[in-house]
Amino acid sequence: MSEMLVQTVDLQRRYKRGKVPVPALNGVSMSVQKGEILGIIGPSGSGKTTLLNLIGGLDRPSSGTVTVDGEDLGRMSDAELTEYRLRKVGFIFQFYNLIPTLTAAENVELPMALAKAPLEEQKDRALELLEAVALGAKADRMPDELSGGEQQRVAVARALVNHPAIVLGDEPTGDLDSKSAKKLMEVLKSLRKEEHATFVLVTHDPIVVAECNRVCAIRDGKITRESKIGEDGKVLDHSRFVMDALF
Amino acid sequence: MSSMSLALRNLRHRRMRTALTVSGIVIGVAMILVLLSLAAGTSTQANGFLRNVVGSEITVVNATTPSFPGGFKFNGTETGGFGGGGGGGSFSMIFGGGDPINASLVGRIDNITGVYVASPELSTSGYVDGANVFLYGIVPSTYSEAATGLDITSGGNLTGAGQILLNSVTATNLGVSVGSNVTVGANSTGGSTFKVVGIYSSGSTFGPTSRSGYVELSDAQSISSDYGLVTEIFVKTTTPSLVSAVASDIESVISGVTANVASSITAPASSLSGTLTTFFTVIGLVALLAGGFGVVNTMMMSISERTREIGTLRAIGATKGQVMQMFLGEALLIGVIGAVVGVFIGVVASAAFPLFTGTSASHTFGAAFSGALRPALTASNLGISLALGTAVGIVAGIYPALRASRMDPVEALRHV
Ligand SMILES: Nc1ncnc2c1ncn2[C@@H]1O[C@H](COP(=O)(O)OP(=O)(O)OP(=O)(O)O)[C@@H](O)[C@H]1O
Ligand SMILES: [Mg+2]
Repeated sequence: MSEMLVQTVDLQRRYKRGKVPVPALNGVSMSVQKGEILGIIGPSGSGKTTLLNLIGGLDRPSSGTVTVDGEDLGRMSDAELTEYRLRKVGFIFQFYNLIPTLTAAENVELPMALAKAPLEEQKDRALELLEAVALGAKADRMPDELSGGEQQRVAVARALVNHPAIVLGDEPTGDLDSKSAKKLMEVLKSLRKEEHATFVLVTHDPIVVAECNRVCAIRDGKITRESKIGEDGKVLDHSRFVMDALF
Repeated sequence: MSSMSLALRNLRHRRMRTALTVSGIVIGVAMILVLLSLAAGTSTQANGFLRNVVGSEITVVNATTPSFPGGFKFNGTETGGFGGGGGGGSFSMIFGGGDPINASLVGRIDNITGVYVASPELSTSGYVDGANVFLYGIVPSTYSEAATGLDITSGGNLTGAGQILLNSVTATNLGVSVGSNVTVGANSTGGSTFKVVGIYSSGSTFGPTSRSGYVELSDAQSISSDYGLVTEIFVKTTTPSLVSAVASDIESVISGVTANVASSITAPASSLSGTLTTFFTVIGLVALLAGGFGVVNTMMMSISERTREIGTLRAIGATKGQVMQMFLGEALLIGVIGAVVGVFIGVVASAAFPLFTGTSASHTFGAAFSGALRPALTASNLGISLALGTAVGIVAGIYPALRASRMDPVEALRHV
């Protein structure tokens, strides 16, 4: 039996648009197992980003609970949530969101610098991760000197640098061609083993879904279905699943 | 990767904009420095002007000497007004004044805080080639600083004992000129030989001092047998505003003397330079304020452009304080660079200033205030300018930095 890392119970998040409340999440109960790559798919506006923000401690639920590693995020202060994001969470964004004035290595070091880790340690760890994402030779490049796929791999290294419990990706291949997307997934798979990392990836991309161990479909703020898993530990008939979830 | 080096990276990343923003501070700081220097220069000139024209600010005499309101000093009757003349020495003679005072008091007055220079004078009566003359014994090295300098029209100043300066009336009457030898003594007969080294302007030819001469103090003392005595001590203060305080200090420290103050001129002149300083400083501060608004504007623009970056920083675990630090760091750097460059340009501009306005000697009233404006660079003004530029950078950065740190990370990340 695998260990539970994240659990949400009847999670709700309502936004106010003018005076009308918009339910972005409408009672989501789900869990993430340690060490898995969980896919979340769903049509635009279904609440995927909202769910990631709640798990990542960027946002607070209107009701319901999110528990990560046994801790209820709803009970944390703003400062504790910041600390939680720094130590326990890694983020990967669709548009990489690297700091344009920092080199690849410095971007990877940044979360360690924010955590005030010793300088030597920062450099060693950043290089180790850049090598793991096959960018050891480009450590001193600026982001605009790297391709989109390379930038996203730097972002993956940055997300992992503080040994987070969970890495959250919001459409990590959304801006990549299929070759770069495949390369990125290769890197994620190997990091899952080497770093014992857990990934939750919001995606529309069959290339991503193909590498997920499990996929949840979300629609109108609710989990509507969960994929079946084959003998290889991967989603069965994933293209079919994606089509069904999205349309 | 400290927040400071991150700040520096960001400034370098947008060189052109940084240069423009910094130049706002540069202009403000340079203006402040030039204007402060001008104000300092003006007050230096005003003080110098007072020293030259006004004569001594304080005249210390024996308490038995009658005192005269309105200032002892201006009765430069020998030259008829502001032009030069020996100062108030004549009074004690004219009015049969008080007793002499001990020459050693000069040293005690010198030790009083705020005293710039103290110079003794012995006013006596003597005979030059048989003619009765008012004789003043002075210490040449300090006399011209403490009292109004003599307006020497030919020859030079006293350089040693056995020399005499005569006013032009006396010289003409006696038929002597620079280089002549004259006999000087206490009586119409006898005395010692003195060499005429200079002739000074007589100013008006009427009045009791129309026949006068200057010799060294020790010569005057031996002529009148007033060894170790003087009749008055002229005092200049370091700053005109100190005059009355120094005068009362002198009277309280040394008993038996009266310190007469020439207040009527010093007060308005020193308040004039104070007004100029204030005026110049206000102009400079307004320029610096404009530079500060430039920083606020640039920072706000930068924050709005970097909204997603700020959201990213917050998402990956930067605290509000760390985000605040990064932007304050940028503002601080803008301030420091602007202040340093501004001071540099201000120094160059101050040095070049006289080239544009022309120079002239400030021996007359007009020249002192309308002619050459010579900025005076002082260490404190350099420090003030540096500090102001830096402070403006930081203060201007506070609001934008606060805005950046308080952004909602989710909103910031949605920003495109
Ligand atoms: N700050 C907000 N204020 C108001 N409504 C919001 C806000 N954020 C999200 N919403 C709404 O909540 C719903 C869910 O949004 P969310 O961003 O989670 O969707 P999503 O599944 O990530 O969509 P997409 O695939 O387009 O990124 C949408 O209807 C959206 O318009
Ligand atoms: Mg989304």
